[in-house]
Amino acid sequence: MADQTSTSPDPLAAWREWVSQSERQWNAFLNEAMATEAYGQSVGRFMEMYVAMQKSMADAMGRYVTALNLPARSDVLALGDRLGAIENRLAGIEQRLAQLSGPAQPQASRAIQSSGPAQPQANRAIQSSGPAQPQASRAIQSSGPAPRAEEPAVDPLRPPRTKRPPGL
Amino acid sequence: MSPSATSDDLSLEARVRAEIDRAILRNVKGLEYISAGDPPMGLTPRDPVYSRGTLVLYRYRPLASEVYRVPVLLVMSLVSRAYILDLAPGQSFIEFLLRQGYDVYMIDWGVPRPEDRHLRLEDYALDFIPDCAARVREDSGEPDLSMIGYCMGGMLAVLYAALHPSGPLKNLACFTTPVDFDGMTLFRRWTDARHFDVDRIVDSLGNVPPELMYASFEMLRPAARAASQIRLWDNMWNDDFVRSYRMFDRWAADQIPFPGECFRQTVKELMWENRLRKNELVLRGRRVDLGRITVPFLHVMAEHDHIVPYESAKDLVGMVGSADKRDLILKGGHVSLVAGPNASRRLWPQLDTWLSERSI
Repeated sequence: MADQTSTSPDPLAAWREWVSQSERQWNAFLNEAMATEAYGQSVGRFMEMYVAMQKSMADAMGRYVTALNLPARSDVLALGDRLGAIENRLAGIEQRLAQLSGPAQPQASRAIQSSGPAQPQANRAIQSSGPAQPQASRAIQSSGPAPRAEEPAVDPLRPPRTKRPPGL
Repeated sequence: MSPSATSDDLSLEARVRAEIDRAILRNVKGLEYISAGDPPMGLTPRDPVYSRGTLVLYRYRPLASEVYRVPVLLVMSLVSRAYILDLAPGQSFIEFLLRQGYDVYMIDWGVPRPEDRHLRLEDYALDFIPDCAARVREDSGEPDLSMIGYCMGGMLAVLYAALHPSGPLKNLACFTTPVDFDGMTLFRRWTDARHFDVDRIVDSLGNVPPELMYASFEMLRPAARAASQIRLWDNMWNDDFVRSYRMFDRWAADQIPFPGECFRQTVKELMWENRLRKNELVLRGRRVDLGRITVPFLHVMAEHDHIVPYESAKDLVGMVGSADKRDLILKGGHVSLVAGPNASRRLWPQLDTWLSERSI
């Protein structure tokens, strides 16, 4: 855009201002026209025509693909509906299975139960096990030369939930 | 890049020369613009946590060495693509949240398929969102979560919060969320019950086609398209402007279908009867009373929002029952409130200030 600090006039500044003003004025004028009942009626008529046209095209296309012994859109939609119903039932079964196996356990506690070298959740749980002292535990980690072996390895995908807002 | 013409004593001759340089660059860059493909967007690394139909719940990979205890779940609108919150590196709301130390999840509704035409508001507020909230709790290991909803996503989050007052929601932030549909003057006029046969539209078309959604949003500011094309030509020499223009233009044109039954419900129960404002909306036999929302609540509105005007959004904070609640009106429009350079200076820091102290 034009440099505002320049002492010489921007030859296009007036034109740009005119574009912005014209846009505002046209928007205001057309919005006013579109807020009338007559315009609302015309929208309604347009939608009727649009729907009628879509319907007649769909009917014609349906007859055409039926003649070619191909599945019509309604057939594909029916298949989609059935698939959707299967998905929903599967989701329901999943939920019930989860309920049967007890309340959802936090990943942290599950990770504690697991063992092995990859324990990102356990690390997080260890760090967050003292929720009242996250700052303290951080301070311990950063201030003392604690043996590396005792420091839990931080998984970059599961960083500790110890952040505090500035000033708190 | 742009020719430098910044010295205070720039003569008219130099100014004209700069304009000529720009005119040449416009032609060169214009050719590049025409031949360029869509700009890449939504690039922040993420992993799907859960999917169901077209719905995908994502968890974004953290960018901070430690995060706030309470995870954040973003609830997107049904009528637009989710990547508006993740435009590009440096212009991404999600990236900002990650850098500030939030554990971010997002519900992406995807593109509704024809078989999704039966979905109603209750499916979102009483099924999908609670399901995703449970998945977030399970994945994060935390008992509660914060929600941020944008536009209609804010409305869905509000419906969810009102119908689940006992938790696990800890904080709720909404951006440009409509509650009083009498304030949506133009949309109300266009869907006037005397002329607009919503039943016929939904029964015939199923989902509302994206081109109709796009046209309705464009009609709200009929001169904006022409003016923005002129501005694009004027700034064609400016790579930053063109890049930003292309991203927003692509997002605006990338509309998705609106699930048919949800559209019917929105028109009849919200537009015509304004039930949400009257606390009379009933979903699966349960009345939505916004007064039952008691979690800390923030509502941010845009001063020049033409899609969700201030009149349609301003009452939300008053209807919510929370003791800890506030609303904000920031400069900008419906989209520039949440995305782009202005958002990074206005909305994002304000949200961070509000949310950080409530996320421990």
